[in-house]
Amino acid sequence: MQGSAYDVSRSAGERTVYELPLAGSGTGAPEAAKPGAAPYLSEGLLVRSALWFCSLRWIVVVILVAFGFLDLFPTLLPRIGLRAQRQWPFTAAAVLAVANLGFLWHARHLARSEDAHGTKANLWAQIVVDLAVLTVVVHFMGSLETYVGFAYLFHIVLSCIFFPRSWSLAVTGIACSLYVACVALEETGVLDIAGIYADPTLRARMGQVPGATLLNVTWAAVTWVVVWYVTSHLSAMVRQRDADLARTNRRLTEAQKEKMQHMLRTTHELKAPFAAIDANIQTLLKGYCGPLPSEAHGVVVRLGTRCRRLATQIQEMLQLANLQSAREEPLDTVEADLAEVLRWCVAQAQPIADDRGVALAADLQSARAVAVKDHLRMLFTNLLSNAVHFSHRGGRVGVQCSPGADGGAVVVVEDQGIGIPPNKIPRIFDAYYRTEEGVRHCKESTGLGLAIVRRVAEVHRIRVRVESAPGRGTKFTLVFPSAETPVTQAEEREDVADGLSADRGR
Amino acid sequence: MAYLLIVDDDEDFAGATAMALRHAGHEVKIEVSPSRAVETMGERRPDLVILDVMFPEDISGGFELARTIQREDEKLGGIPILMLTAVNQRFPLEFGPGDIGSDFLPVADFLEKPVDLDVLCDQVARLLERVNSTENNDQA
Repeated sequence: MQGSAYDVSRSAGERTVYELPLAGSGTGAPEAAKPGAAPYLSEGLLVRSALWFCSLRWIVVVILVAFGFLDLFPTLLPRIGLRAQRQWPFTAAAVLAVANLGFLWHARHLARSEDAHGTKANLWAQIVVDLAVLTVVVHFMGSLETYVGFAYLFHIVLSCIFFPRSWSLAVTGIACSLYVACVALEETGVLDIAGIYADPTLRARMGQVPGATLLNVTWAAVTWVVVWYVTSHLSAMVRQRDADLARTNRRLTEAQKEKMQHMLRTTHELKAPFAAIDANIQTLLKGYCGPLPSEAHGVVVRLGTRCRRLATQIQEMLQLANLQSAREEPLDTVEADLAEVLRWCVAQAQPIADDRGVALAADLQSARAVAVKDHLRMLFTNLLSNAVHFSHRGGRVGVQCSPGADGGAVVVVEDQGIGIPPNKIPRIFDAYYRTEEGVRHCKESTGLGLAIVRRVAEVHRIRVRVESAPGRGTKFTLVFPSAETPVTQAEEREDVADGLSADRGR
Repeated sequence: MAYLLIVDDDEDFAGATAMALRHAGHEVKIEVSPSRAVETMGERRPDLVILDVMFPEDISGGFELARTIQREDEKLGGIPILMLTAVNQRFPLEFGPGDIGSDFLPVADFLEKPVDLDVLCDQVARLLERVNSTENNDQA
């Protein structure tokens, strides 16, 4: 029992009080979608992003160093209208490099410890240091006469993606303030007007136009705020959608788990009584309770036969139900070696084959297919069981597996049994359908085995071809799609009308 | 003759199984819950445990008990387990012969219900023989 899901309390008289939680309330209730419920990205993604920013920063450091080295060619810069940059690119690169080493060390530490608070602090520190260094670069490159100031937008956009709106607004505010402060200090003479252009009158000429500086700075700030508004709005929408999808995924996973447990329980509860009846029948037949009169022995044998048949039938009905719902749910597929699965299935069929005097001959080459492993077991087990049950004593069932021409796989199960009349072949995949010849030959068949084969084939887009001749045997050929071709739910449903129906027409 | 413990919540099944094993000359005790089984094993160590997988209070109670026995060093450690399950091969419990003896499935072997009682008796005899030969080798 999951204690947290139940409301249990004790009153003064030590009587336990319990109230059944209603569906849709309490801990079992589905989570309601709350706007803004996911202001941050997941912690893992934030740490990976912090590491990624550090990698990008090395590129900036390299660019700054390369720019600084241009000073080594004193004639080059004036030739393209630029002036010597003195030492500032190296200083900026050094500050960024040292800070980056610190960020990197911290981010790697966070990747191991998953400290939620630390990741955000790391990202904040990265942004603040970047903005400060960028302001220095803006000053030396030319705050008004170049477009370097628009590099603030990178940080604004990134903060919109990684932070809640209020925080990204703060980043936008810091960027605007630093830029305005830089221009103001230059205009008031506190800072020398630097700039990369060799023409010293360029900035002075801009200053001669009344209001030009104010207009340029205002325009830049308005642009950044508009970009912040649009990006943060879109980012919040995407994050909300992400959170909704994650919530839906959690619910689906829970439902799938619950269904699986229910299926296990149901199988157990239905099979266990038959196991008990069967075991008790055996105690009678094996004489543990004393000898039985021959007539009573016959009755008990019939009881045992019907009991086993009913158990098999119930099991196959459950399998069919399970496969039916599998068509509407995401598949838990793996890339499997069909030869390996077939070896397991052949081992399962061997005792029945021995009992019925049928030889099983397997020629299995490794061939891969993407499918639910349990579905493959059901598919092969039922085909093998079918082949063994409808073989004559002394007959042979051949199983082959080989890679297909287009990267898929081909599996063949062939018997030398009673065969199927041509007019009845199209119906053999129907649930509970059994031919007259089949019933005469083997009363144990439930008529569900090939219906299970059909369902698995539909779900996994496996082409099934049947070749049969009465009295000479039947050959089932399964053609699996290439392991590189993923099965989508839409394709599965579209294929329902195709696949087997095409084979039926043969 | 060996002392065997059957742990199965289905008393009808356990009773029939016990009858077959007693006919084979073994002393058999039945417990219907894993918790009671631990107590019983503490009182007298069985030579082999025949264990069901699913119990009404715990869907994987058999696995848990098998792991408990594996973890125990002194009293219960090393008791071979033959697991019987009604849900195995056609339903996705996702264990198979390859898992036998692993931490996931620390048992000597498993059989699927319904089980042929002759097969069960043979399997029990084989496992007991294996245990005896291991013990003899250890002593040598």
